[in-house]
Amino acid sequence: MDYAIETISLTKIFSDWWGRAKVYAVDDLNLQIKQNEVFGLLGPNGSGKTTTIKMLLGLLHPTKGHALLLGGQGSDPKINARVGFLPEESYLYRFLNARETLDFYGRLFGLAPDVRRMRIEALLEMVGLKAVARRPVGTYSKGMARRIGLAQALINDPDLLILDEPTTGLDPIGTRQIKDLILKLAERGKTILLCSHLLADVEDVCDRIAILYGGRVQAEGRVGDLLREADKRQFVTSAVSDQAVGKIKEILSDEGAECDVTTPMERLETFFINTVVEARQQARPTSGAVSTTDIGDFLTAEKSQAGILDKLVSSSESTEAPAAAAPELSEVAPVETTAPQPDKDLLGELTRPAATSETEQVRRPEKPVPDLPQAQVDVPVEDGRVKKRVLDALTGSNPEQPDQPPAQDEPEQDGESSDA
Amino acid sequence: MRRVWAVAVNTVRQALRMKVAIIFIVLLLVLLPVMGLTATGDGTLKGRLQTFISYGLSLTSLLLCLLTVIVSTHAITSDIEQRTIYTVATKPIRRHQLILGKLLGVIVLDVGLLVLFGGIVYGVTVLLPGFLDVSPEERQQIDYEFYTARASLVPPEIDVHDEVMALYQRLVDKDQLRQVYPTLPQSEIIKELTARKRLEKRAAAVGDALMWEFQGVKPRGNDETLFIRFKYDVAENPPDGQVYGRWQIGDLRPLRDGTEMKTPIWPEDRKDPVRTFREIRVPADVVAEDGYLSVAFLNPALNRTVVLFPVEDGLEVLYKADTFTANFIRAALLILCRLVFLAALGVLAASFLSFPVAILFCLVIFFTGTVSGFILESFDYLGQGLGLFYAYTVKALVQLLPRFDKYNPTTFLVPARLMSWAFLGWVVLTMVCVKAFLLLVLGLIIFSFRELAKVIV
Repeated sequence: MDYAIETISLTKIFSDWWGRAKVYAVDDLNLQIKQNEVFGLLGPNGSGKTTTIKMLLGLLHPTKGHALLLGGQGSDPKINARVGFLPEESYLYRFLNARETLDFYGRLFGLAPDVRRMRIEALLEMVGLKAVARRPVGTYSKGMARRIGLAQALINDPDLLILDEPTTGLDPIGTRQIKDLILKLAERGKTILLCSHLLADVEDVCDRIAILYGGRVQAEGRVGDLLREADKRQFVTSAVSDQAVGKIKEILSDEGAECDVTTPMERLETFFINTVVEARQQARPTSGAVSTTDIGDFLTAEKSQAGILDKLVSSSESTEAPAAAAPELSEVAPVETTAPQPDKDLLGELTRPAATSETEQVRRPEKPVPDLPQAQVDVPVEDGRVKKRVLDALTGSNPEQPDQPPAQDEPEQDGESSDA
Repeated sequence: MRRVWAVAVNTVRQALRMKVAIIFIVLLLVLLPVMGLTATGDGTLKGRLQTFISYGLSLTSLLLCLLTVIVSTHAITSDIEQRTIYTVATKPIRRHQLILGKLLGVIVLDVGLLVLFGGIVYGVTVLLPGFLDVSPEERQQIDYEFYTARASLVPPEIDVHDEVMALYQRLVDKDQLRQVYPTLPQSEIIKELTARKRLEKRAAAVGDALMWEFQGVKPRGNDETLFIRFKYDVAENPPDGQVYGRWQIGDLRPLRDGTEMKTPIWPEDRKDPVRTFREIRVPADVVAEDGYLSVAFLNPALNRTVVLFPVEDGLEVLYKADTFTANFIRAALLILCRLVFLAALGVLAASFLSFPVAILFCLVIFFTGTVSGFILESFDYLGQGLGLFYAYTVKALVQLLPRFDKYNPTTFLVPARLMSWAFLGWVVLTMVCVKAFLLLVLGLIIFSFRELAKVIV
């Protein structure tokens, strides 16, 4: 026992109307996912990933074999209470707005009203939907729907999180955010089953992976073990002269090793995020009024991400997190008190008429917003500082690691609630 | 329970934010008051009120029934089709709780809308005379004959079995049986003769009298009013279509026994059209202390024809037993029974059918239910030769049909008849506690064991 997820000869055969076996969607699958593991289930389309998840959760009945979640059946409410699930698309009630959605799911978990309210606010901030929380979910773009879907999967502070293609439809920043979230949750002792065919995502966060094809596991193991090329070595140096390279080559050739010298590439993800940050900083002096939906989403997202993450990470027994959070709080506190309120108003106002996708607006920074009140135009200067810090924190390029204000009161409250 | 309630609230929200619910609501909000203004009936105020309450309640009932069917099936099938069920069913809620929540939501919505629209119908009905120029007589008439809930007593059936058998024997003895009824089997002949005999007991030749006796007449007070509701039929149509009648109403036993009269006798001579319901208004103090009342009819020589009172509805005594308001509330509850039944039906249909098919299924049952009397009769008639097999299969299924036509609120409110709590209780028992419950349990079982995800490979 003690596996978070275990499947025993799990098999799903889809048969036609006459009962003849047509497709082996999952074929004799034996998976063992330990507690506190981030496990990636990979495979091309139609390889049985989603079917496996549906069987784990009791949405499909296995043709043969068993699927155990946290040592029990996926249809058992006691087990469900400890599981968070984000399906391959955010299947939510289109007529509810974001806050109502989270409230509904919170009620299904039987959360007490004050805990529910607190978590809803924290999650909305974290996923950056606070400004649009009053809009029906049916009007959300795919990325926004994904965010609210993630929020609903987290509302019960689950021990086991099952994420089916969590990053589809998200911009790189959102993707990065989810990956960071997964890592933080894992730090806090949660188990995560990540199901994806976006290999980069899996590689970044997973401890172990299994590759499915045709409903069977084709390869399984630790990411490091699977990917390490044991017969090769790699040096990374700062820029050195061709002379030095020549010398090194000589030494290597003495050992009979082959050597290939290139300039390393930055990761596109890092490059993208840095570019967005720079663009935003440069855009500000030229047209001060620019502030767009995605900034709002993004800004609130980052600020709050820390909030919820700390909240989630600093479980009551953890001594480390509050200590780490304290100095950061004092540093950024003034910004929090002055900037965000009007900023949010501004965002709210901009969001309503615009309601367009985030990336679109990033690329049109020159778009004038003529009829904004002066007071609100002033705000983004402060705003920019926060954003930069936040981004730095996110991308890890700023050693100072300034952290985010909302952490101030939330960790404690949540600590209490999760105790209770 | 809190989870069930959360689902219920969500279902109500879904229904209200779905355009279809709004369409129904707006339609009713517009139509009901318009109907109040345009309904005229037979031109009298009473006719106008009767027309309005009949159409108003029927329309409310019909539209709410349709709405219930749509909302209850949609609430479940949309979850499955739009796959929101993936995120809901994986939460700590049992599937039967989920279904019960949906059902509860539909019922809550129904109750709310029924209160709203029932209130409108009631309000218009009660306030309508206030907007019209009503003479005191008309006012009195509607008070007595419309704004009330009257219990009904029909004369006890007279046992004619012996007479029928004697008649039958006589026909056989005289060898006339096959002349009169060349083809019918014996049972049908007996039936026919019985019907004839019964009618004979309710026919008065010119100069003859008929008397009916009623026990247990309990008007609410002595200052109340009784009604003798009757319908003439004639052997030969009078030229002006009118029949004279001489009535004596009260405790006629002293006349027969030669004892002292304690209560007054109400005499009335009148002229009424044939084949039309008419009512004689009688003060309630004619009823004897022990609840005895007799009604005598004399066919005067002015008529040149035999006068008959049809067996089913030829004559009855009506008296005020409750208020219009109480009766109206029971009528609304009767509609609610329908809605609960349909909601359970919708849940069952949605548990294994997809949206359009489920709705079609429910609508077929609904419309069959509204003509269930006809269907039951025809099945009975057709199935006579089929015996046991029929009795235990088709008949049992047909019995499960809801009896919407029999339990129709307008048949009570239009003639201002009392719908008793006992009657309502019986409907609740059969339609809700038995039939709807069975449907619901079946639906829950199916839903609990089915696969919720779609087959996608």
